[in-house]
Amino acid sequence: MNSQSQARQIQRVWQQGLARRQFLKWGLGSVATVAAVAAGGFALLRRSPRDAVSRPGWAADLSDDEFHLFDRAREVLLPVAGTALVDSAAIPVVQNIQRTLNYLDPVTRKELGAGLGLLDNIAVFTHGCRFVDLELPEARQMLDRWGEGGVLQRTLATVLKQLVYSAYWQDPQTWQPVEFDGPVSDKWGLSYLGNAPLPGPLEVSAQETTV
Amino acid sequence: MSSPIMKASGLEVHQATDVTDSQITLEADVVVVGSGAGGAVAAYELARQGKRVIILEAGPYVPSKAFTEDFTDSLQTLYQDHGGQANSSGDLLVLQGACVGGSTVVNGCVCFRTPDFILQDWQRDFGLSELTEAELGPYFDEVERNLSVHDNGEHEIARHGQVIREGARKLGWSTKPLRRNIRQCGLTGHCLSGCKTERKQSMLVTYLPWAQAYGAEIYADTRVEKVLTEGGRASGVEAVVTGQDGIVVASLTVRAPRVVLAAGAVQTPVLLLKSGLANRSGQVGKNFACHPSLLVAARYPQPIYPWRGALLGVHIDEFMHPDKGGFILEDGGFGIVEMTMLAEPGTGEPFMEYMANARDLAGLVTLIHDHNVGTISWDGERKQIDYQLSEADFPSMKRAIKAAARLHLASGATEVYVPASDRRIIRSEDDIDDQVDSLENAPQHLRMVSYHPQGTCRMGADPLQSVVKANGETHDVAGLYVADASLLPTSIIVNPQITVYALATRIARQMA
Repeated sequence: MNSQSQARQIQRVWQQGLARRQFLKWGLGSVATVAAVAAGGFALLRRSPRDAVSRPGWAADLSDDEFHLFDRAREVLLPVAGTALVDSAAIPVVQNIQRTLNYLDPVTRKELGAGLGLLDNIAVFTHGCRFVDLELPEARQMLDRWGEGGVLQRTLATVLKQLVYSAYWQDPQTWQPVEFDGPVSDKWGLSYLGNAPLPGPLEVSAQETTV
Repeated sequence: MSSPIMKASGLEVHQATDVTDSQITLEADVVVVGSGAGGAVAAYELARQGKRVIILEAGPYVPSKAFTEDFTDSLQTLYQDHGGQANSSGDLLVLQGACVGGSTVVNGCVCFRTPDFILQDWQRDFGLSELTEAELGPYFDEVERNLSVHDNGEHEIARHGQVIREGARKLGWSTKPLRRNIRQCGLTGHCLSGCKTERKQSMLVTYLPWAQAYGAEIYADTRVEKVLTEGGRASGVEAVVTGQDGIVVASLTVRAPRVVLAAGAVQTPVLLLKSGLANRSGQVGKNFACHPSLLVAARYPQPIYPWRGALLGVHIDEFMHPDKGGFILEDGGFGIVEMTMLAEPGTGEPFMEYMANARDLAGLVTLIHDHNVGTISWDGERKQIDYQLSEADFPSMKRAIKAAARLHLASGATEVYVPASDRRIIRSEDDIDDQVDSLENAPQHLRMVSYHPQGTCRMGADPLQSVVKANGETHDVAGLYVADASLLPTSIIVNPQITVYALATRIARQMA
């Protein structure tokens, strides 16, 4: 299925009755309602072997589905075979994502969760299983197509990628293979200059210069 | 008055952790809301003239020595909304400092005076006849001297700037060193995470300690919720003091006959809207512009190390005038996390291959003269930034991308990455039109960032078309002033910090 027809199908299924403007926003609250209804109807199809696995204790601020989505996205987005890059399994990617999400205000956090849930579940329509159960090449192709798709697809693909990418590359363990220097001031022994001296007496007089 | 005494380093700041009373009431001659470019300058100028000045800053106080030079960490600790402030469609990050010193702490140090053709627009279209180049020139001279503004020396033009300069020379495009407010640049490349060794001449190491030397008091963690008035005049503000855990520890009232709003072009209109003040014109929060910028990255056949050396070295002003394109290009360094946001080379292996070759990348920042088409609003619970690149500005954006691509190729790049949601790579001049002309002006297609929000309380002579007068006082409320980039009636194409410093100096002196 090409990206255009996929976009049309998604729009048909998910946007019925919803104002387009709502999809132009991060505000995806209405999607949560639709997703919940659809999830009920497609409960069988959306089952995943991962559902039987609970999230680890440290992931208390994520739902089980969110944990599985981010962990699968880590595998999809960060392949290192054939490179000198550090295996993402050695980096606390999902922990870092959780920390980022904890900075969001509650409303945005809820809407983002709904949107990412949509990304996970929508693959049921196109691939017969959730995103977390797609083979790696299929998952990557889906995200590539979504980057070319409608606003909603572009938004969700971009959000997922940015969360995963920044969560991986913020870890200092990933820097050495690409020769990124990281913090340098202390390493270089740069001196602290302190506060600048008070300015001298020269100044512009408002009375003299104002027309 | 006794001789001013200034700390050698750092500031004395009242913080939430110092609070012992749940209700605090203070009195001052002037209360300044915000400690960034406008607030710090206004506070210094007024304190120096003997006024009792109180500065209220919503963000935390983070001393320079505590800066980590880690961009992710800095976003979370120094930036508005922990680095997540965006427009309502989420495709434009609006990055502003939210700490003592404001955006001056995390900017790239670039200094431009307001272009004269912009001032002429203001004179012609907004009745700001007194804001001439001759009038503002002495103020520019003074703030530039105070902040050690200088042309980048050769050692401050990093490898990425050198290759870009060479490419521009081949194309015959006008290129100049950027001017920056910095002393003895440490060449760390970490400007956007704050300058740990106090070399960037941000408000944190200049006007704020200078204001304190003249008696100004600074309160961090203190968000102003309402401007107070009595008999149609400003009479103070109400604020809350909130700890880093998000718990409100005190309410704070400052009684003052003059209130200066300098919280930035997003927060200042929000505060006026929450207060229900100064909006006879209906223009508060309107006319938001932001210089939506792209960082166009390209791969070179030799190592560039875009994170090494001064962050910003040279700029191309060939196209600055609206008649010639209305945009500028600045060579820009970046770190490894920023790189992930620039390009979409493809999901999986293509992206990791792009990252694995990070050292071979260089970047060009595009800044366009956008129209004031956005709106800042407040729905009672949350602010909202509604801004989409206008159809009138989209051609400028495409011209800027094309120029950046041409320049990269002329500089020797082998691949130029269009910062879009889909995979767009330019390898030759023949690719440029195909890859850029097919871009859509639609949400989430381009990956835009703004460091320059402006225009939301615009200056003007007509009280029915503008919020403040040329002297910074609001048309509607005596004693209530605005002294930040909200003032700017149009976008100014260039980095606005010098414009704000100069206007804030002028406003404070006229106020006194």
